[in-house]
Order: sequence, then C-alpha cells, then structure tokens
Amino acid sequence: MKIFNSLTKSLFLFSLLFTFGFNLKAQSADEGKTLFTANCTACHAINDKIVGPALKDVHKRREEAWLVKWIKNSQAMVKAGDPVAVQLYKENNESVMTSFENLSDVQVKSIIAYIKAESEAPAAAATAAVPGDNTKTKMNNESNESLVSSINWLLLIISILLITVISYVFSILNRIGKIQGKEVINWTSVNGFLLLAFLVIGLIATFWEFAVHSKLTVFADGPASVHGKEYDNMFMITLIITGVVFVITQILLFWYGFKYKNDGKRKALYYPDNHKIELLWTVVPAIVLTILVIRGLFVWNDMMYSKEENPRNVELFAYQFGWDARIAGADNKLGAYNFREVGKANALGVDPKDEKAKDDIIVKELHLEVNKPYHFSFRSKDVIHSAYFPHFRAQMNVVPGLPTQFSFTPSVTTAEMRTKTGKPNFDYALLCNKICGSAHYRMKMVIIVDTKADYEKWLKSQKTLAQSTPVVSENTVALK
Amino acid sequence: MSDHNLHTNHDDHGHHEETFISKYIFSMDHKMIARQFLITGIIMGTLGMLMSMIFRLQLAYPDMKFPFLEGILGHWGKDGKLDPNFYLALITIHGTIMVFFVLTAGLSGTFSNLLIPLQLGARDMASPFMNMLSYWFFFASSCVLVFSLFVDGGPASAGWTVYPPLSALPKAIPGSGVGMTLWLVSMVLFIASALLGGINYIATILNMRTKGMKMTRMPLTIWAFFVTAVLGLLSFPVLLGGSLLLIFDRSFGTSFYLSEIVAELAGGIERTGGSPILFQHLFWFLGHPEVYIILLPALGITSEVIATNSRKPIFGYRAMIGSILAIGVLSFIVWGHHMFITGMNPFLGSVFMLGTLIIAVPSAVKTFNYLATLWQGNLNLTPAMMFAIGLVSFFISGGLTGIYLGNAALDINLHDTYFVVAHFHLVMGSAAIFGMMSGIYHWYPKLFGRMLNETAGHFHFWLTLISAYCVFFPMHFMGLAGVPRRYYANTAYDQFNVFIDMNEFITIAALLGGAAQLIFLINFFYSAVKGKRAPQNPWKSNTLEWTAPVEHLHGNWPGEIPHVYRWAYDYSKPGHDEDFIPQNVPDRDQMDPLDEPTSLPEPSLTKVHNASTAEVTH
Repeated sequence: MKIFNSLTKSLFLFSLLFTFGFNLKAQSADEGKTLFTANCTACHAINDKIVGPALKDVHKRREEAWLVKWIKNSQAMVKAGDPVAVQLYKENNESVMTSFENLSDVQVKSIIAYIKAESEAPAAAATAAVPGDNTKTKMNNESNESLVSSINWLLLIISILLITVISYVFSILNRIGKIQGKEVINWTSVNGFLLLAFLVIGLIATFWEFAVHSKLTVFADGPASVHGKEYDNMFMITLIITGVVFVITQILLFWYGFKYKNDGKRKALYYPDNHKIELLWTVVPAIVLTILVIRGLFVWNDMMYSKEENPRNVELFAYQFGWDARIAGADNKLGAYNFREVGKANALGVDPKDEKAKDDIIVKELHLEVNKPYHFSFRSKDVIHSAYFPHFRAQMNVVPGLPTQFSFTPSVTTAEMRTKTGKPNFDYALLCNKICGSAHYRMKMVIIVDTKADYEKWLKSQKTLAQSTPVVSENTVALK
Repeated sequence: MSDHNLHTNHDDHGHHEETFISKYIFSMDHKMIARQFLITGIIMGTLGMLMSMIFRLQLAYPDMKFPFLEGILGHWGKDGKLDPNFYLALITIHGTIMVFFVLTAGLSGTFSNLLIPLQLGARDMASPFMNMLSYWFFFASSCVLVFSLFVDGGPASAGWTVYPPLSALPKAIPGSGVGMTLWLVSMVLFIASALLGGINYIATILNMRTKGMKMTRMPLTIWAFFVTAVLGLLSFPVLLGGSLLLIFDRSFGTSFYLSEIVAELAGGIERTGGSPILFQHLFWFLGHPEVYIILLPALGITSEVIATNSRKPIFGYRAMIGSILAIGVLSFIVWGHHMFITGMNPFLGSVFMLGTLIIAVPSAVKTFNYLATLWQGNLNLTPAMMFAIGLVSFFISGGLTGIYLGNAALDINLHDTYFVVAHFHLVMGSAAIFGMMSGIYHWYPKLFGRMLNETAGHFHFWLTLISAYCVFFPMHFMGLAGVPRRYYANTAYDQFNVFIDMNEFITIAALLGGAAQLIFLINFFYSAVKGKRAPQNPWKSNTLEWTAPVEHLHGNWPGEIPHVYRWAYDYSKPGHDEDFIPQNVPDRDQMDPLDEPTSLPEPSLTKVHNASTAEVTH
C-alpha cells in the first residue's frame, strides 16, 4: 500500500512537473501517463512486480516494435512461437496478459515513452517532494502499525509462555495424581470456571470491538445514496434484534455450563419436554422473523424497482482487470454494441455508426451528479464480475451475455464526504467483488460525485465517441 | 427389520481367513471403513489447514517476502512472494477440501458408518461391498485432487464454487487448464462415493433396525444421518449433472454456460447462447443442502453428547426430529439466497428470502432445546461435551448473521464480503468441525478401543475455541467496511488497508489455532497405539453401541443382537438407582420390545427440588 501510495503520488507530482514546470518532451509522455493509469496499473507498476512484472527500464530490455506487438496481442506472439514471448509467458506462470488491440501504435508508444521517463527519473526526488502533511500522517501510521504489530507478537509470545507453563503445571499435577492414586485435577470444575471466564472476557471483547472497529465500517461514514438511509435503518434493526438474542443465548449457554457442572451431589432433573415452552419458542422467533421479512421485502422492492423517472443512463463495462463507463449523451440513450467488435474499433464494441452512440462518452473515471437518479446497466467482456459500490449500498453482478441493472441516486458529493469523514484523500470506489482472476484485487474505478456545476464542467471536457479518436473513423471502414 | 439380522449370530458370518489386505485395506467392515474415512479426512483436513496458513500469511504481510515459500511452492512462490494466481488456487482448494473432503466425507462418512449399524443393532451395513466402494471412490477422489496441485498451470483457481466462464475458459486464469479438469474428475468420483454411501445409510436405517428399535426410538444421531443421506441423494446428482455440462463446455466445445464470449478467450469457436447463471442454479441446488449435509450430522452428534453428559434426556425429542425434517425440506428451496444479486428476477429473490428466514425457526428451536437440556443437568464437562458446547456457541454466533445475509436487501451490501466469510466459517466451518471433534472424543473408545488423553483434549478445546473466535469474529467488521473476500491483498484501497493490523492479529490467532491442532494430531495417533484401554461404556451412555464389546468383532455382537425396549434418553429417570438405563434394558412387566415402557408420572416442577436435593445413589 505504502509503495502504491507513494507511487501514485510521485506520478501525480511528475505530471505536475511536466505540465507546469519543465515542458520537456511532455506531450507524448503525458498522454502515456493517462493511458498507463487507465489501462496498465491493475497489473503493473514501474518499480514493483504486481501481478505482471515491474516495468522499469523495459525499453532497454526489449525493442519498441516488439513491445508494441506484445501489448496489442501477447497471445498471438506466444502462439507464433516468438522465443522471448514464450519465455516471458512461462516465467509469469502462464498468466495471460490482456490484449489492447484497441490502442493505436501511437498510443502504445506514448505509454512506452512514459515508462521511459519514469524509469530515468530519480526516485529520491519524487519521495522527498511529497507534501508535508501527508508525510506526517504516513509516518504516524507507520509508527502505529509497528506498535500494534509488536503488541500482536508480544501477545503471541505471552500466550505461548502461558500455555507452556500451564501445561507443565498440569503434567506435575497429573504425576501427583498418579502417585496418590486419585485425580488431583477435577476437569469438570476447572472447565466450569473457564466457561464463566470465557463468557465474561468474550462479552467485554465483543463490546470493545464494536466500540473500536465499527468506526472503520461504511456504516460509520453513513450512506451516500438516497436508498442507503432505508438500508442502514434495516441494518440497524437487524443488528439490535440479533444483538439482544446473541447476548442472552450466549450468557445462558456458558452460565448453564458453569452452574450445572457435576458436583457429585445432585442428580439431573428428568425433564423430557414441555409443549407450552416449545410452542413459545417456536412462535416468538417466527413472529420476529416475519416482521424482519416484511420490512426486508419492502426495502428490497424499493431498491430493485426504482420509481425515479428519467434516470441518466450509464453503462459499466467490466473486463479483466478494469472498468469502463459509458455515459449516454444528450439523447440519454446508449448506442448499440456487438460483443464481436469488443476491442476492435473501441474497447467496448460500441457501433460508432449508430446515431445513439455518437454522443456517448467513454471514461475511466466516472463522475456522477449529486441528487440525480442514475440507471446503471452492466456488461462483461469475459468472466463474471461484480460491480460493488459499498458507500452507495449498491451491488450487482456483471454477467457475460446477461444484461443486469441497478439504479440509485447519489446523495453526498465526494467533497462533502471528505469533510464528513475527515479523510482528505477519500474517494468513492467501484470495485470488483466476484473472483475474476489474478488482478481481481486491483480492479477498481474511482467515482467522483460532483455538484451540478462541477459535473457540467467536467462533462464539457470529455470527448464523445464521435470526436474522441480518429482511430474510430479509420476503422469504421474495416468493420464491414 | 429383517429376521435374518435378528437371529443370525456372529458365527454364521463364516470363519474365512482375514488377510492384512482384507482386514485393513479392502475391508467391508463398517467400523474399519469408518476409521478409513476418519483418517483420510484428518489428513485432508491438515492439508486444507496448512493452505489456509499460507494465504493468511499473505493477507497479514502483503509486502513481506517469505523465502521458505519458494521452497515449498517452487515457481509459485518466486522470491518468497506468493503468486496471486496461486493464492486463488489455495483458497479454492482449501474450500473444496474443507467442505467436501473433511466435513462431508470425513464427518458424515466416519460417523454414519460407525454409528448406524452399532446404534441400530445391525450386524453391518445393508451392502458392505457398496460401503467399501464408497470409501475407495472417496480415496481416489482425494488422490486426484491432491495430484492436481502439481500440474502445469496449478490446481483449480476459480473459487470452490467454480463459476464459469472463469472455470470454463483456460485463457481466463492459469488454474482453469488441466487443474480444473482434474477438479471436476475428482468431484465426479466424490459424488459417486457420496451416493453409494447415502443409499446404503438409508437402506440400513429403514430395514435393519433391531427388534424394538422403532423410528421414534432412534437416537437423534441416526435421525440426523438419515436426513443427511436423503439430502445428499437428492442433491448430489444435480451437481453431477452440472459438472458434466461444465466438462462438455471445457472439453467438447459446447456452450451450456457460455454466452457472448469474445474471440480471444473463446478458443476459436462460437461461444454464445448459454447462461453462466444456469451453472450457479445447478451448483447451489446442491450447494445449499450441502450446508445442512455438513451441519446436521454435527448437530446429531451434539444432541447425543449433550444428553449423555448432562445426564438428562434431550429436551423436546420430537421437536428435535421435527426440526431436522423441517430443515431438510426447507434446505431445498433456499438455494437462491446465494444469488440475490446475480440479476435474478427480484420477485424470485423475495421468494428465496422468505424460505431462508423460515429456516431460521427450526434452527432456533434446536438451539433453545440444547439450552433446555443443559438447564438443571448434571454436566460432566468431558472434552466431547466441551466441543458440543462450543458448537452451540458457534451455531448461535454464525446463525444470527445468517439473518442479515438471508435478507435480500441487506445482502446487497454484504454479499461476498468478509461478513460472509465470518458467517459461514462460524456456522458451518467451526460449528461442524467442533461437532466432528466432539464425535471423535466421544466415540474414540468405540473406534480404537482406547481412550484419548483427557488433559490434552481440554487444551485442544480451549485453544481451538479461543483461536476460532479471534480469527472469525473480527472479520465481521471487515465485511461491514466492504472488504471483498478472495482479495490477494487490500493494498489497492485506502479504506481497506486500515485493517492491516486486524489481518495480522487474525493470522497470528490462526497460527495459534493450527498449533493447537498439533496437540490433537499427536493425541489421536499416539492414543490409537498407546492409549489407556477403554472400558465398555466409558460415558455411561444408553445407546446400543456401548453394549457391544470393546474389541471389534465382525458382526458387532457375539451371540444375539440386543433388543430395544425404550428410547435412547432415559437419563436420571426417577425411580431408578442408576442415572442411566440402556436401551436394551426392559422395564418391569415389559415383555415385548415393541410395547411402550411402563408409563411415568408427568414430570412437574415440584419434582425439581426433590430430584436436585436427592443424593446420587450409586
């Protein structure tokens, strides 16, 4: 994490340097940076091996033409028997690298230019220039971490020592027992007291956990969507009911274990059944569960059948290992697509000749307007993914060949959430929550919720499908 | 009840020479087969646990290098870093081993085989030969799975649920090559084993009960094994069908589960028209009953152990049978709760949600009945009893979180997060393992004719209980923060990386728990050879298996099979000196085993004081 953080920070810094400070050969590397963050960071970093190898000095290891070919379709090279390609494939445990045939040669070269610039940049300068505040918090975090970490290990050592001492004591007691010819340790009463101790310590630990760790959950940040309030209410009701049952039943269980342990003086009560009590504890849970079910059904239907009129249409396209978002243009209609064209004219296989598609906007970082209803439709290129938006209390699987959808209205802007949570770097994330392959854990998209004004400003800066790249118009002919 | 079974005695089974192979390897004796299932299950369980240690290290120390990994994993642990693909392989095989090989075959296979004939008063299973085949299919299946760890591309890595297209397309992940094929082969063999066993259990329970063993007098263990076998028989064939279709998709170019797959992954053929969701329906049609296939035997064992060691009849015997049957029936109409957010019709989601929350009612009844059995008991806190109490505790903790996940609305934000991991590891993992341990400690004298070391057993229990709660309880909070399961590291997200300390704590607790299992393993194998000789009825239990001699006889009882005159739970019955009356002891005036024992005055609370003040007379 630290590495990744400082990496993104240094990337940010470099982009700043390039744009404002020294305008070197910036243009190409600058475009390369955007493309690199959008397409490569799920699996690669400059200095570290992530899922794929570290890319530092890759321009020295391979020729540019080879790299372009590899990035566009590595499997074709492996199949063709290119010795370097085959070796690389084997070295990486036969993980298939995603093909980027939709990128033009110029674009791939700009990525390589960016990697080159990064490899040559002195690493020390980058870390030193990280803004002061962040360094401080980072250092605090680090010292905290190492502190907690040493406490963890201390606990382990103490518990091992304790266990050794206790087991030694027991083995001595056992020997004494053998000499005396009777049991010295009465395990039933020892266990009885241990059960009681476990109950007390366990309950204290549970309350402590709730006090400390519930602050880290998304429920502490509050919902960021309109339906989220209803969701959180439902959650709290369930939490209270189950919490009460949990505490009562665990207390009874461990208390009975302690109270009714065999003391050699009593005989157990022959008490095989009591229909009244049994009826009671069948009916009461049934009623409580009915209430939860009915309430749950209302929430579920509200979430599934959105009543908002004219929501804005957005398509989320998932692939190994990233997301593309396609926002419907002025007509609020998404253009047609064909899965056979995916990765050819454009990454999503959208038909550029469709009138509805021409004003569609494809982005790698999704901006949403606050308090505006959105209707998301999901599409997958390869395997099942799951689009999970924890702060918006929303999730839907992305299944190849099966259109799925989800609607919600974001209600808190990113800026508001940053102030509310006190985290200046907070961002909403869309993440993949269905196992999809090696870089599953890095498959993310940043979501920014803007005010109306900010959103419109951002929207203007984006290119529609028709304007975006000349590549599209070149390839339309080839599409036929 | 077959007459043949009642009146033949041991001698009729012939005096054929038993060679080493026919006695210890290709044995048809149910007690030996039970031991074989148990030991294979323990070996597989150790393997599955070791795998979890490796991926726990990765989760706690995502930036650290462990050079020893390269030693054991070879190129998957190059430079001491676990490969992300192999991480996924490890969680997949860990899940497969634990769910199928340990908690289905290891638990149900062991105790159904041991207890069904012994507790019902039968000489052996209905078909000893099929029983032997059942074990050897299981053995072959285990071998194939272990072998798959060493193939090119690694073992199956698509999660234990092996959802296609990830599991169907070799290009999608390295593990979906030969490894996945072997996983499917292993599963087909496993299903054959489960079906051969299940048919046998059902036939034995229905036909081979001794005289007087009415269905309503059977111990709850047998009821649990019976319903388990029926569930397995009805649901495993569906997974078999599902697996075969997946084999077709992978090897013969069909597209049952594949639709709109882009050319670069499709392998040169058209892949359209199928549905990946179809596989999920087929999988979870087994997958959900499977949860109860795991849990019911554990609950059955617990019922028996709690009643025996509380010296009290199990509370609400008929309600317990009713709950087992209700859980069995309902378990077939709740599978969709694993699929609320797959894009399934929301109305269908509502139906599954209703079914899921209804199933909580019989589960609650069972819990309350356990508590009522402990109340006013005279508890002998043996290791078996402690593990049974531990099971009830996990069953409560894990069961209650099921109410969140069964609620379709709440599932939206909790699905596939660590909250789910915590939930099922408590309610199904830990609870069932504790049930299995309880069974091992309780019936070890029956299995091996020797006693386990008690002190070691108590150490094993306390360390395991503490470590299981320390491992799984904190995971709830990670889930509530939205941390997805099956992530190789949480480093890409600031909001998840705050759990790094918690992850470290969990890993240390898991290592401690693993060390505690060493105590068990040593105790288990040492006592099998050197343990104290077991008395015939060490726990003063009522059930029939304790009337059989300690040494294993082919045919179980020398001479006639005991007849049964009462239910299994006459503990501390008023008017008797001993605090237990075995099932084969007739009451005064009870001539025919099928007669009801002499009726008792209704128990009332006024008797509580009399009973509790009375001295124990023996």
